[in-house]
Amino acid sequence: MANVIGRSIVIDGEISGDEDLVIQGTVKGKIALKESLFVENSGVVEADIETQNVVISGAVTGNIRASERVEIKTDGRMVGDIKSPRILIADGAVFKGNVDMDR
Amino acid sequence: MADTNTVVGESILIKGNLEGDEDLTVQGRIEGSIHLTKTLIVEQSGVVKAEVSVANAVISGIMVGNLTATDSVEIAETGRMVGDIQAPRVIITEGASFKGRVDMGDLALPRQAGAERPKAVFKPAVAPKPMARPAPAKPAPAPARPAPAPAKPVPAPAKPAEKAASKPEAPLAEALAGASKKKVVIKKKR
Repeated sequence: MANVIGRSIVIDGEISGDEDLVIQGTVKGKIALKESLFVENSGVVEADIETQNVVISGAVTGNIRASERVEIKTDGRMVGDIKSPRILIADGAVFKGNVDMDR
Repeated sequence: MADTNTVVGESILIKGNLEGDEDLTVQGRIEGSIHLTKTLIVEQSGVVKAEVSVANAVISGIMVGNLTATDSVEIAETGRMVGDIQAPRVIITEGASFKGRVDMGDLALPRQAGAERPKAVFKPAVAPKPMARPAPAKPAPAPARPAPAPAKPVPAPAKPAEKAASKPEAPLAEALAGASKKKVVIKKKR
């Protein structure tokens, strides 16, 4: 099932769930998912994130703890610390923060 | 923007404030507040515990909290709602369950958005300003409602004249303004 937070949507608070979440809008606060989080080009996330996978094509400010994988795509901008066993940072991506790949 | 509606899936819980200019479909749970300029759809699996202000709302799931809509509120057959509704059009389908108050605004002028008129009446001296506000706002809801749309611009220019006339008769204006008062009057007549 597709969970989409659309472009014009602004959420200030907590999001939790057991399924994938696609963010095209703005989320501030906290995100806790058991599946994957996709921050698309138009997406802005200012939140601490706890998920299985994160794919960032938009802007993320906050700390990420992913149980599987974090990927920052070419268009992605990320400020914050990442803790995840697998971390991919694509050419062109902007990242500032600490990386912890301890398993 | 319109092609990608926001969907909050079944397992998703959002706690906090949500704002936006697009339709929102809730299959999961939202607690806090929701402000949209478009339509909120609470599906059968959806649960909303929030103060909600939207243009339109369609409740097929559970809604707890006060709901203000500038256009319409519909509680579908499977919908269950507890809270007060303020909207010019309220539709409660057979099978729906609802507990709360309904305020459709001034019954004499049912097509006017309830929120606009009290503002104008409470501050008669500033009448031109509130008039200026509804004017640009109206073209937006107009296309959404094909039938009543052409009628809207007509009462708008007529309003200042009515208000100017009713200014000296304060009690009359108050009576016109208070929707709840009107309802009581009608009940007495019956």
